[in-house]
Amino acid sequence: MIEFKNVNKTYTTGTEAIHNANFKINKGEFAFLVGTSGSGKSTLIKLILKEEEPSSGNIIINGKDTTFLKKSRVPYLRRSMGVVFQDFRLLPDKTVYENVAFAMYIVKATPRHIRRQVPMVLSLVGLSGKAKMYPNELSGGEQQRVALARALVNNPSMLIADEPTGNLDPETAWDIMSLLDDINKRGTTVVVATHAKDIVDKMKKRVIQIDNGVIIRDSKKGGYNSEI
Amino acid sequence: MKFNIISYLIGEGFGNVFKNKKSTISAMLVMCISMLVFGLFFIIGENVNHIMNTVESSQEIQVFIKLDATDDEIVAVGEQIKQIDGVNKVTFVSRDEALEIMQDRLGETSYLLEGYKEDNFLKASYKVTFTDLELASQVESKINELDNIAKITSSNETMSKLLAIANGIRIITAIILVGLVIGSIFIIANTIKLTVYARRKEISIMKYVGATNSFIRWPFVVEGIIIGILSAAISILLVGGIYKLLAEKLLESTIVKSIGLSLVTFGEMFSLIILVYLILGIGIGIIGSLLSMRKYLEV
Repeated sequence: MIEFKNVNKTYTTGTEAIHNANFKINKGEFAFLVGTSGSGKSTLIKLILKEEEPSSGNIIINGKDTTFLKKSRVPYLRRSMGVVFQDFRLLPDKTVYENVAFAMYIVKATPRHIRRQVPMVLSLVGLSGKAKMYPNELSGGEQQRVALARALVNNPSMLIADEPTGNLDPETAWDIMSLLDDINKRGTTVVVATHAKDIVDKMKKRVIQIDNGVIIRDSKKGGYNSEI
Repeated sequence: MKFNIISYLIGEGFGNVFKNKKSTISAMLVMCISMLVFGLFFIIGENVNHIMNTVESSQEIQVFIKLDATDDEIVAVGEQIKQIDGVNKVTFVSRDEALEIMQDRLGETSYLLEGYKEDNFLKASYKVTFTDLELASQVESKINELDNIAKITSSNETMSKLLAIANGIRIITAIILVGLVIGSIFIIANTIKLTVYARRKEISIMKYVGATNSFIRWPFVVEGIIIGILSAAISILLVGGIYKLLAEKLLESTIVKSIGLSLVTFGEMFSLIILVYLILGIGIGIIGSLLSMRKYLEV
């Protein structure tokens, strides 16, 4: 599903962000990407999204080597993955429903499909009653649920979350994480970059730890720190 | 499904236009002014062309044949003139006809010429008109090379002056056109850049969700086209109104009446001007919006 082979990334400024990364996240897996800020987590996410190109090595997504993927094909690669960010990135002048439907417009879904799919996804994330509200009328957790709904509405095979709970209080963060777990149980591959230690420790999922651009640990059912 | 996308694009395009009222209006203002200036020169050019055509068809030179030429030689000269490039019509005026014309001109005193019927001192001549005024001097010099030519009369100077004016106007119109196109492209590009900047968040989200560049670009191109078409429409109305007013005033004036000058009516130029304005407006809109987008599509 997602495979890194000897991937290096050095920015044009000279900073080496990733050094020889090798890992493989299989279909249907749930994996945490942990590390302090500046460790290279975000760069890894950007490489997966092909927002950044690796300096060397290969990144294989859904069995396809994306190293030589043409720029014009990148949008189609991104349609296979839903993305969620720490700052939600919702459109403030559009309602919850429109924010989610927007993602379907973009992939040129039929109006009938949109009318059927959006309420379904909103109920999946527990926002059925709030379709007509605007983002600023919602709590942080609810806004992240809208972002999740938007990420899921086109049925991506994987969900990439970059610090999805970074702006949320611990209880809400936990709600979002269990929602991600539910989504994973329905068959979607989930990759979560985070430094929410408690959650990672509790969930006992695969943990890939990165420090100074180097993957220092990859444990099947680990905690945030290697001792656990 | 197709219809849905088109209505989405047009809706977004109009939305952009009305969200940035100030910059849209200023862009339209500048575009209208430059289109107006261009339009007025275009119209003056059209009128000069029109006048030139009228003059061209009435402009003629008279080629006089030497008195000692035989009838055969005279016919030969006529045939040779007809062969020259740029010659439209050749009319023969015999010596007798020339005398009659002269008598007509003299009117009451025509009796003075009575005695010359047997001993005609007037030369036979050919009246020559041109297909194209620009070829006039060329035709004249070619006629001069023929045998048995006594003299050529022409109003060459007026012709060359008119030609110079027409060419000058054409050059000015072309320069204005180039300036209009370049200036307007930058103004539209800047206007749309504001929309793009205001919507950069939306654009980045679109990119993450997997929107293709062309899908992101289209609403902004539509915005550019709308600004272009609106400017073109306003300019057409303004140019039409101004021209109607000026032309009426001009045609009423005694000077123009005395020359017997006629002007092109706006109706005759209307379709051409609409076409030129729409092509300009739409073209400038598209190029301007594409220019403004380049930087923001890199995510």
